[in-house]
Amino acid sequence: MIAYILQRLLLLPVLLFFFSIMVFAIVQAPPGDFLTSYVATLAASGSSMSAEHIDALRHQYGLDQPLIIQYLKWVQNLLTGNLGLSLEYQRPNADLIGEQLFLTIALALFSFVLTWVIAIPAGIYSATHQRSIVDYVLAVFNYVGVATPNFMLALILMWLAFAYFDIGITGLFSSEFAGAPWSGAKVVDLLKHIWLPALVLAIAGTARLTRVMRANLLDELNKPYVMTARAKGLNEWRVVLRYPVRLAFNPLVSTIGWYLPALFSGSLIVATVMNLPNIGPLLLRALVNQDMYLAGAILLIYCFLTIIGTLLSDILLVWLDPRIRLGG
Amino acid sequence: MKLIARKPALIVFAALASGLLLAGTVLVGSAWAQTKYKESPALAEEVKAGKLPAVDARLPEQPLVVPVVERAGQYGGVWRRAFLGPADANNYVRVVYDSLFRFSPDGAKIEPKLAAGAQPSADYKQWTITLRKGSRWSDGAPFTADDIVFWYKDIALNRDLMPAPPPWIRNADGSPALVEKTDTYTVRFTYKEPATLFLTALANADGADRGYAMFQPAHYLKRFHPSYTPKEEVDKLVQAAGFKTWGELFATRSQPPENPDRPSMAAWVSESRISDPVFTLRRNPYYIGVDPEGNQLPYLDSVRFTYFADTQALNLAAIAGDFDMQERHIVMTNYPVFKDQERTGKYRVITWPTFGGADAVLMFNQTYTADPEMGKLMATKEFRVAMSYAINRDQIKESAFLGLGEARQGIPAPWHPYFPGDEWAKKYTEFKPDEANKLLDQIGLTKRDAAGIRLLPNGKPATIEISVVPAFGAWPDVAQLIARDWEKVGIKSVVQIRERALHFTMRDANELMTEIWNEDTSAFPFTGNAKMDVRNAVILTLGPLYTKWLATKGKEGVEPPPPVKRLLELVDLARTVGPDEQVKAAQELFRVWVDNLYEVGIIGLTPMVQGVVVANAKMRNIPTTLGNDWPLRSPGNARTEQFFLAR
Repeated sequence: MIAYILQRLLLLPVLLFFFSIMVFAIVQAPPGDFLTSYVATLAASGSSMSAEHIDALRHQYGLDQPLIIQYLKWVQNLLTGNLGLSLEYQRPNADLIGEQLFLTIALALFSFVLTWVIAIPAGIYSATHQRSIVDYVLAVFNYVGVATPNFMLALILMWLAFAYFDIGITGLFSSEFAGAPWSGAKVVDLLKHIWLPALVLAIAGTARLTRVMRANLLDELNKPYVMTARAKGLNEWRVVLRYPVRLAFNPLVSTIGWYLPALFSGSLIVATVMNLPNIGPLLLRALVNQDMYLAGAILLIYCFLTIIGTLLSDILLVWLDPRIRLGG
Repeated sequence: MKLIARKPALIVFAALASGLLLAGTVLVGSAWAQTKYKESPALAEEVKAGKLPAVDARLPEQPLVVPVVERAGQYGGVWRRAFLGPADANNYVRVVYDSLFRFSPDGAKIEPKLAAGAQPSADYKQWTITLRKGSRWSDGAPFTADDIVFWYKDIALNRDLMPAPPPWIRNADGSPALVEKTDTYTVRFTYKEPATLFLTALANADGADRGYAMFQPAHYLKRFHPSYTPKEEVDKLVQAAGFKTWGELFATRSQPPENPDRPSMAAWVSESRISDPVFTLRRNPYYIGVDPEGNQLPYLDSVRFTYFADTQALNLAAIAGDFDMQERHIVMTNYPVFKDQERTGKYRVITWPTFGGADAVLMFNQTYTADPEMGKLMATKEFRVAMSYAINRDQIKESAFLGLGEARQGIPAPWHPYFPGDEWAKKYTEFKPDEANKLLDQIGLTKRDAAGIRLLPNGKPATIEISVVPAFGAWPDVAQLIARDWEKVGIKSVVQIRERALHFTMRDANELMTEIWNEDTSAFPFTGNAKMDVRNAVILTLGPLYTKWLATKGKEGVEPPPPVKRLLELVDLARTVGPDEQVKAAQELFRVWVDNLYEVGIIGLTPMVQGVVVANAKMRNIPTTLGNDWPLRSPGNARTEQFFLAR
């Protein structure tokens, strides 16, 4: 097991190297560079910059150098743990990402917990009460949940909250708390705001998870060992919860690995629409503005998380289900 | 001045000492001086606690007296506002409008702000600026001629910081004008030619565009400048901040929205950074302005910009009444919703139509080469006239502009001195499809294909691509409507909605056929980057190859035709003649502009560009009419320091 983990970890730098090339290529793919988009932004807000100034800035930022040189410099910085400087913010990328990291994780965990807390019982109930009224009702909810794009849901809920409850729900904080240092009042303010975005993010996941749980459990419920357990006179709930539910978890656990990067990227559009201060909108902005080192840093972090996440889910699976073996 | 550097106690001490000194020298013997001016209760507390000098000592001898729009206001409150991140720095710039001179609310005059006045020589070659005696930076340090000379010598002429001096301090031959200190409070600018647009330039020399305002806190910034601080020390700071060059460090240290430590002259000074999710400004205790009753301004304690990643989310928050006054990023297409929700009483809606020009104009590329036949066509005046006649502007006005504004060419508003007359404002804007068809037939586009599209001499259908950036509300709709009108007279039209950066890259590469933009700076054809001047590379599809020809002195590109050259002559002329001649030059410039129709005006004088104002019902002293344009830094020219929240 340890050898397996080590082997996987050794592969990490190689994978990251390939990812860094891909990330750089993707970030560089759109025509123009940061200054083109910067000038475009200026023009749209009425002001402008002289051509000489633009050229000088391009030189200052090293954007006039060949791509390969820009890439090598970037990687060289990365190797020394330096994520580089954001062109737009003129601040170290590590600071920018770090600032948003806590809220990103808080929101993601909140919605993750919400998803599992709703979906698992719902899935179990649906499976054990197949074709009951509740099962059908849940099914309808699930289909709607999966079919509705998250951002659409966010917009509808935002409008409803505004139109009927007269509350404006954008952001994770009221404006007087957003820039304030952490305090009890700020946490309360966060809790007041976080439920709606978390719910929006959780709904699609819940729907999917409920269906998966239901299907997995139905497979297990018809297996002979369940019948044996029943025949031995075990209480029905104990029968279901003891073994089939545990086994039904397998496919869910195997997707936890994907969940890790999705924690950060999944909420991009919702976060933008709901004005949440997390990494999603930061990445979107960086891509639109061609703030290449910031976008590159965030994308590379996603790649890293995907690799780590996959490893984690592999380890979890082995731990959960001894039938799964490593290798051959 | 190094004393003020790092230790807060020393700052307080220095401020106190200089304050006392000033009180001692200037107001000596005047017993009533203690009560001459009034101040915010919050500042009065600080004075009582000994943290600040008295208000009379903080104000210059002759403060700026700011007229109030409705009435003298009450102190206190936060101006809640929204912004879209660091690239939206102009949001800050427009709110503070920190400059020596500024435009009046109607945009017709230029008035002193931080400066007391300016005096030209008889031939306009020399300008003497007088500062207000005793005015101070927000940290209490005196604001003097040295702060302007520092900008000139150590920023504008420093190649590491500025690749070239700003155009407005250059002589015609490109050399920089001379800037000298004559005494502590006066600075003299000397040009080789008459500089009649000097004040207009000063009204825009406010640190916008992440450039540098023409006055800088020398006492604070010298520590980041190798001319004053040993290179090794500066290098240490550069490294600690993660920058590569001292120029990058200096830029961020000197720009108020990026550095709360930098002293400022504005009514509100930065308290956090523009790269933070909430960017806050707080009252400048040394602000030089008072209302007519002698209350020190600003009335509002602070300005709080909340970050929004998305314009529509920002608009929803505005509808929810989250802002006290916001015009930037309020989308005109949401106007009916705003009006509808106005009934809830949380806010009121004010409109400020554009001050000059048209809010959607379509420009033809005169040097398009990718399709030579179409390029030739677009360079034919009859073709452009036909295309203008083919547009049903009434329909566009109703469906894309909610019935606001009027059909017109991209020239200044009728009340502006540069307005050349109704004849030119309305020229070629009538809807005459028959006339358009006749003109197109005349220039030889008589053959049509089965779908009714006219054929070019090479047998291909005549096709125009309209490139549009969804930067301001309704442009994509405008493009679609124009395309439909043009198809009716047999010109196939393709609308391409492009992301801004891509559009700009294509424009630079001479790949755009046409584009839709606005004409929001047309009241200022001689300063900034007016489109009529093809030497300005930035806001132009008119003829990228003309620009190249002029930049390479004829080695590359295409020579501009006589009317385009005439536009340049007029711009150059206006920069050196007196105000009356300027008006004449401007009027001729706009006549040439419209007669040649390089650009087809669609609808103008709407509040589309930052003209729909959503204001808290309690937020007062906001003018109901205002010259609204970028060079005026609106709402800055509304004198934001006298806005207040009524209780």
